Amino acid sequence: MKKESFFKTRIYPIIFMVVLTLVFISVVSGIYLSTKELVLLNESIFEKKAVLYAAGIDYPEDDTQKIEAVYEERVREVGGEEGRPSYFIVSLPSGETGYVVYTSGAGLWGEIVALFGLKTDMQTLTGVEFVQQNETPGLGARITEDWFKQQFRGKEGPFTMVEEGTADEPDELDAITGATRTSTAVLKIANNVFEVAEAKIKEGN
Amino acid sequence: MPARGKIKKTFFEPLGKNNPVFAQILGICSTLAVTNKLENTVIMCMGVLFTTSLSGFTISLIRKLIPSRVRMMAETLIIASFVIIVDIVLRAYVPDIWKQLGPYVGLIITNCIIMGRAEAFALNNPPGLSLVDGIASGLGYSYVLIVIAFFRELLGTGEIWGLPVLGDWWTNWSIMIMPPGAFFMLAIFVWVVKGVLIKESEEAAK
Amino acid sequence: MNAQAVPVVIFFAAIFTNNILLSNYLGMCSFLSVSREIKTSVGLGVAVIFVMTCTSMLNWVVYHGILVPLGLEYLRFIVFIIVIAAFVQLVEMIIERVSEVLYAALGIFLPLITVNCAILGVSLFMVIREYTFIESFTFGLGSGIGWFLAIMAMAGIRQKLKRARVPHGLEGAGITLIITGMMALAFMGFSGMLPIG
Repeated sequence: MKKESFFKTRIYPIIFMVVLTLVFISVVSGIYLSTKELVLLNESIFEKKAVLYAAGIDYPEDDTQKIEAVYEERVREVGGEEGRPSYFIVSLPSGETGYVVYTSGAGLWGEIVALFGLKTDMQTLTGVEFVQQNETPGLGARITEDWFKQQFRGKEGPFTMVEEGTADEPDELDAITGATRTSTAVLKIANNVFEVAEAKIKEGN
Repeated sequence: MPARGKIKKTFFEPLGKNNPVFAQILGICSTLAVTNKLENTVIMCMGVLFTTSLSGFTISLIRKLIPSRVRMMAETLIIASFVIIVDIVLRAYVPDIWKQLGPYVGLIITNCIIMGRAEAFALNNPPGLSLVDGIASGLGYSYVLIVIAFFRELLGTGEIWGLPVLGDWWTNWSIMIMPPGAFFMLAIFVWVVKGVLIKESEEAAK
Repeated sequence: MNAQAVPVVIFFAAIFTNNILLSNYLGMCSFLSVSREIKTSVGLGVAVIFVMTCTSMLNWVVYHGILVPLGLEYLRFIVFIIVIAAFVQLVEMIIERVSEVLYAALGIFLPLITVNCAILGVSLFMVIREYTFIESFTFGLGSGIGWFLAIMAMAGIRQKLKRARVPHGLEGAGITLIITGMMALAFMGFSGMLPIG
């Protein structure tokens, strides 16, 4: 037989692809569904850790339950909607009260969303955590590295940015070498945060 | 069960002379981006290894059933599915690293090596051997990138795996964490390897 | 203050400061092999611009119109690559019918483009950075032009290289990578070009 059957050349490939697609999509979907809970839990813990980090409150890195406990004890959510409170009232390690606010601004590629921790004097920072950023990996994305975030603790605004490694004064912040625009974006967000915080707290009350 | 010798040969070829990366600089795109940190590179390579070996295995399993018209589509579907699985698993179990890897995990699909091995090997060989070939290709690919990542992180940040190794005396070669550094490192790597290979073939010719 | 980067800024950034190839490492395979000849580089480059722009728009529509409402975002890898492959196939068929000349110049590159990581990469970045439709368009167009620029520059340089004495071990891929590194370095000089939002 010279010519291959109609079935083989036309119908079979279609059936094959459909079956193959169904099989693989089911497997993939199965795995997706089985990890969905875990993914949601991860995100909620991430946000809680971010708030604690911005407030300068210590927490055991890998103990989910303990993290939840510390969070329950020291943080109060105010306003906003489910999952994204407008701001938080926290009980700082020093005993004082502090605030943690969500704020955001234009980064180089997209929005940078951050949590800033402030003391009630509305001038001193307790810390910062970046919740969302799409900056250049290895450069702008380094704002999420510890050394960059830690420098915000205890600094007093309004801020100025200086060359990496030379920040001395309480209002100076190190930029990231090679990531000028991202650094400037963060500076802008930091300088705006006091205004943002005041507005949110006023609204909340 | 294929002969022992054949398994050995299948395993070692992609690691040495026929290393797809050296031979044709294949599949570099998706991983070069994350080689600025050793930790990220290792995770990424595990993902590539998983995809290369399992897709090779699967494609080989059904190779007699795949109609030639839809060959590429079927291969792409299978490879893409495994990559999605990698993405989902990474997101669930190592979310911080997943965030850093960004779109590059998805780009494993377009990794020329995986498709290349599927066409060249998996379609014509039994599943067992294809699995071995997939694993070996994945490993051959991985060690090149791990070496590059090692140097990039070390010279660029003075750290390895996030742990400070070089002391304060070391001024970071920031260029290493930026794209030019990656290209230069890869070029040097290729140079070294080609140098060795060329010498070998010159000696063999004698 | 803008909450999102402006489309025009994205356009220029995609070409110069965050070039898809020189800063984001995408599209290397075809770049390294095709840049040998200027003529073929032009052909491939133009094809890339066209496919990149169209597929980023198409994928945006598919993602936001179908995947998101159905909660199927996790299937985007499969869907995007299918869209890209189907689009390329379609374009190839159309060009073949419509213009012999165009087909001879461009058509042969199209299959090569389907596996070009840059094309898929642009769509994936667009999702991660949550771009709007207009932003996806400018990002796709800009990235394509940026890639084109890179491959053209590389082809030009390699032409000149033909007369140079390259160390044996560096011939081919090695020297091309070094040049890519230098180009990446040069493009980093564009950093100051764009003011932040």
